[in-house]
Amino acid sequence: MEVRTTRFGVIDIAEDRVINFEKGVLGFPERTRYCLLEPGEDACFFWLQSLDDPNLAFVVTDPTLFVPEYSVPIRGEQMQQLALDKLEDAQVFVIVNKVDQELTGNLQGPLVINTVTRNGEQMILAEKRWETRHPLMKVGAQTRATA
Amino acid sequence: MLVLSRQRDETIMIGDDIEISVVDIRGDKVRLGITAPTRIAVHRKEVYEAIKRENAEAAQMSGPDVDAIAGNLRPGSNGAAPVRRVSSVIASGNSLGNGSANAGSGTAHPTTGQRNGAPENGTHTVPVRTSVPGKLAGGKDTA
Repeated sequence: MEVRTTRFGVIDIAEDRVINFEKGVLGFPERTRYCLLEPGEDACFFWLQSLDDPNLAFVVTDPTLFVPEYSVPIRGEQMQQLALDKLEDAQVFVIVNKVDQELTGNLQGPLVINTVTRNGEQMILAEKRWETRHPLMKVGAQTRATA
Repeated sequence: MLVLSRQRDETIMIGDDIEISVVDIRGDKVRLGITAPTRIAVHRKEVYEAIKRENAEAAQMSGPDVDAIAGNLRPGSNGAAPVRRVSSVIASGNSLGNGSANAGSGTAHPTTGQRNGAPENGTHTVPVRTSVPGKLAGGKDTA
């Protein structure tokens, strides 16, 4: 299907690439369909583009690239909601923001995606250890993520 | 808003299956115990609000900010070809172990007003993958 986006123009998205966030992302409950765009081969950052709102897109990343010990606890109920049969099917992303000269990741509100059914949900972690603005890296110079 | 007075150890029922008890009162701090079915999410509101705010702000990242993150993030730089790709989708194996089976805890999760959200019972840990999805899918590892 063809999808209009503000940043990328019209893009062609195969149906089987659509990720459904049934409950939306917090603050955007109406925007439920997304796709993941990869800027380059070995990119560390991706775009999560809304298919419902041309203007809505988030930069997301795999948090383990920056915070190896990070993990997301998930309850049985939540697994059911995501139709997750096994944990290995899950992919976790965090939304990236830029605060001053630093890239931060929202580790308190990770996006968990069932890679098989492509259902996604933004979780809210109770653990205070993870913040909405967890520093990932400085920007300005070059942006290679060195694990 | 309905306002009720409760003393320590007294409880409020919301519907048939949600109970909120006053566990402790100390100065201006009240500790509440919440028993609810696990399908009901219980969060401190400020955390919820903070994530919402952060989402809204992150959605505003654009232009020079984004360029600063990674030049090649600019889709235009890839030519007309739209960057599109599947996620995670990625369904390739690469499991990280921790296939901890469902602990199958009870039906209710007592969430007390602990300051340090200790892990609740019956939680699993979703391991985040160690490599980016692109690598997972392509299998081409660029060191």
